[in-house]
Amino acid sequence: MSQAPAPASAGGREPLPTAAPEAPARSSSGHGLSVGRLLSGIPALVPAAIVVAMVVVLLEKSQLELLPGFFSSDWNPSIAHPQYGIGVFVAGSFMTAIPAIALAMAIGLGIGIGGTTYLPRNVSRLLDPFVDLLAGIPSVVYGIWGFVVVGPYFGAVTNPWLYSHLHFLPGFGGIPPQASGQGLPLAIFLLTLMALPITTLLIRDALRSVPKDLWESGLALGATRWEVMRRVAIPYSRRGILSAGFLGFGRAFGETVAVAMVIGSVASFPANVFGTTYTMAAVIFQTVDAAQGSSNYLQALAEIALILLAISLVVNIVGRRLITGFSSEQISGL
Amino acid sequence: MTTVLSPHPDLDDNILFDRSARTRWRIGFDRWIGRLLPLLFLVAILPILGMVYWVSEQALPTLTWTIIVGQSPYATDQLGVPIIGTFELMLIATLLSVVLGLFGGVATAELLSPRAASVVRMTANMLVGTPSVIIGFFGFFVFVLYFGWGLSLIAGAVTLSMFMTPYIFRTADLAFTSVPRHIREAALGSGAAPTQYILRIATPIALPQILTGIFLAMAIGVGETAPIVLTTTAGKLAPTSLTSPVTFLTAIIWDGFNQGSGSPFFVLAFQAAFLLMVVVVALNIVVRVVAARYQKRLEGLYQ
Amino acid sequence: MSTQNPSGTTTTTSDQISSPSRKRSGTVGMGAAVAIAIVLLLVGIAGGYFLGTYLNKSTTSTSKTTLTETGSSLLYPLMESWGPAYTNYTPNVILSPASTGSGTGQSYAEQGLVNIGASDGYLANASATNVINVPVAISSQLIWYNLPGVPGHLNLNGTILAMMYSGAITTWNNPLILAAQDAAQVTALNGLSSETIHLIARGDSSGDTFLFSSYCDMSWSGWTFGASTTALSGDKTSGITFDTGNSGMVTGVEGQSGAIAYIGISYMSKVSGTGLNYAALGDNLSNSASGGVNSANYVLWSPANVSADATLGLTHLDFATYGLAVTLILGGSPYGAITLQTGGGGSNPTPGTTPYPITNLEYTLVKTTAQANSQAIVGFLSWAISYGNAAQYLTPIGFVPLTAEVAGYDMQELATIQ
Repeated sequence: MSQAPAPASAGGREPLPTAAPEAPARSSSGHGLSVGRLLSGIPALVPAAIVVAMVVVLLEKSQLELLPGFFSSDWNPSIAHPQYGIGVFVAGSFMTAIPAIALAMAIGLGIGIGGTTYLPRNVSRLLDPFVDLLAGIPSVVYGIWGFVVVGPYFGAVTNPWLYSHLHFLPGFGGIPPQASGQGLPLAIFLLTLMALPITTLLIRDALRSVPKDLWESGLALGATRWEVMRRVAIPYSRRGILSAGFLGFGRAFGETVAVAMVIGSVASFPANVFGTTYTMAAVIFQTVDAAQGSSNYLQALAEIALILLAISLVVNIVGRRLITGFSSEQISGL
Repeated sequence: MTTVLSPHPDLDDNILFDRSARTRWRIGFDRWIGRLLPLLFLVAILPILGMVYWVSEQALPTLTWTIIVGQSPYATDQLGVPIIGTFELMLIATLLSVVLGLFGGVATAELLSPRAASVVRMTANMLVGTPSVIIGFFGFFVFVLYFGWGLSLIAGAVTLSMFMTPYIFRTADLAFTSVPRHIREAALGSGAAPTQYILRIATPIALPQILTGIFLAMAIGVGETAPIVLTTTAGKLAPTSLTSPVTFLTAIIWDGFNQGSGSPFFVLAFQAAFLLMVVVVALNIVVRVVAARYQKRLEGLYQ
Repeated sequence: MSTQNPSGTTTTTSDQISSPSRKRSGTVGMGAAVAIAIVLLLVGIAGGYFLGTYLNKSTTSTSKTTLTETGSSLLYPLMESWGPAYTNYTPNVILSPASTGSGTGQSYAEQGLVNIGASDGYLANASATNVINVPVAISSQLIWYNLPGVPGHLNLNGTILAMMYSGAITTWNNPLILAAQDAAQVTALNGLSSETIHLIARGDSSGDTFLFSSYCDMSWSGWTFGASTTALSGDKTSGITFDTGNSGMVTGVEGQSGAIAYIGISYMSKVSGTGLNYAALGDNLSNSASGGVNSANYVLWSPANVSADATLGLTHLDFATYGLAVTLILGGSPYGAITLQTGGGGSNPTPGTTPYPITNLEYTLVKTTAQANSQAIVGFLSWAISYGNAAQYLTPIGFVPLTAEVAGYDMQELATIQ
């Protein structure tokens, strides 16, 4: 007896994922492949055509050859013998995305567990829209809020406090943080907020799909709610939680505008955890118009774009496969 | 679930009444975690409230109706032109992406073989996961340069629609695949042609979910900056043709940020941000309402 | 097989009518799908080109013409004040400027993506892309610093600035700096609460960076960053902050005590605050000397001094060979270096004048090939070079009018636009 699937979650950037309904019965009857059928199939191939076109254009712009010194960390497009080492950007993208997803997973797990287990249904239903709303806010608004409001606060209060207390730790010492607050901590803060809705939603759904009998048998055996959660529900929903991590990472990794506004846009490794740096997405966005003059510069940017695209695609595909396994089911919305 | 600690003669062996220290600790820990974890909701709620409050604080004091509607070309404090620009961009982009996404989703759900369908779904998922700057990069080279459209309304709108189409595509696909099986079988078994089935029966059922997807895609599209900034250039007048320059709300915010707090654009940027947030919240509310009615309708289908 | 969950979601296992490998008749299979995709790509490309030619052919007969301009943030305030004035003069033409940095102005003009590209530095090899350099005004650059308690204007020169931005000088009480200041300033510099120099540079592709890096490049043999709009983007000197646009530089230097920044003259009125002042700039003949203590060696900004430098640089103008692509920095060296001597004035081809070293022509870059707005562009630029060079537009932002000779050459250039 089939059951209606939960609808795509209203609000927020990505709707609720739910496990797919039963596999569809094809409505085509056995009349063979007609021209009409072929024609109506055209729009279905549009995403495929776009993806292929994207890859082709990027490959063409990158001229299919790696510039010398590509993996070094010297990025100097303007001197007489320009260098196009992208090490800084790759490192910067990971340095911002990994802590952000770690934080977003931790908080998302907390909210997910808290919302499903410890709060009455109607209370959590009241609070969920706020999390969704986090996803709906445009990233440029995040950026300007981060730069104008949070940045000075970080620069004046948070970073100096951390610096003064933790500067003996490796990576925390060296140059004192900037007054403007731009840098890694601010970027990680914003990225965490942006990845949070995805992780929360996916974890919450994964936890909610634990069968009731498993729950109740755990409780009946004398475990507390926390223990059932920890030893039964979470291992059961491992895949959903992992996929939350991957998809949230994909989001944080590819975020462009907000990061560009707060990361400081300097093409060198940060001196310490408070330092400014650059990410792949941000450098493409901010330098593509000025790079038009030099074909090598464009080539370098196209190659950065290819790497960014490849990593995003891999992360996304792995993340989705974790939820759906290897069947042809599909999760809704997300 | 509350913990009952009063003893009952028949329940002496129940773990609930085990007063050992370890159990008390476990129960206490559970209770405390139960109080702590929901507090994490604040991590999500406080920033939103902070953002809304702060944007409103900067934008509202000087916000007048003239600012929203005014279109004089050289005024640095009027949003009429960017609003029209956003509207026109969204109009073209939504039309294009609804047509492509809807028909594409239906075709995937109904028309393609399972293998082809799973490949197509994978490409749609890949597009969703692509960073917006890469779509902008692509749009700039292909639409602005190769095709010769220049930095224009049409280039921006088509690039934006490339961003929005996969969301509508996926939602349409899912909506049609989740039409309950017995309805599909009943329809086909009664002799309906596939077209009749799709148009007359499946679409009304799938419509709320499709609408949800469209509004969500619009909410995402209206807030996008990178792809459109790369494919359009600012204009002081409302766009008059497909090739004219166009200004839009997110560009105002981005320019305001670039110009710094001293420039007159700065306050305008907040007002644009405020309007954007209003639009996004409104769209989210609409989506929730539609989804709630969809829930009800689907439940009705199973009676 | 479905199992029901309390939340109403369904977990299912794959249960399709047909196994994935069996192609059902009537459905579009993989082969057909690939074929469709290829056809779609080809049709899409063809359609895109077709649409492009169609759009560019149709002349829009709307009543208003928009001239799009983008580029230099230094020229931007002038464009902003010119816009309403020009629309007053020619009601059907609206000017739409944007401040995106000289690098963008150059590349967009080359590609024909905007009608007018603005740049603080000339576009080298412009004719290769059918672009002409049309200067519209003479501007300059100030070196601002944030040092509360230091009186008057500090004396600096290109060598010191180059060493600062290369990390060779890191503190304000460096002997090289102190040697150039008078007694009161030396005391103040030694008494600063923090001696660290906070460097601020442009992060975007900027004509101001081009001017500043040219100045440094000409002044110090140890300068490794060359002279370009992105010269400092690879500068890994610790503590360097990158801001976007001249307005970002203003905010940056105002907000950080001990900061130094190079800011275009048009933003002079926007910098305010205690301790904020701009430097007097001197010559730099050797790496070690800082020009001596005599403040007469250091030229303070003034319109007259800017004009003096411009005149000096333009004396060597060879229009036939170089067109209007000349540098005016340091009096147009390599066309003729100036040397300032003790006792003031300096020894230069025109003794008795005091040329301000960082001066430049503000260029608009325009395509010579015919486009829809060509006549409107010519109309606007002709107005700009003549009426637009009036004091009411230039003086508030510290610009200086073009010389008659340059204006004449400009009109010659404009005549080449089809």
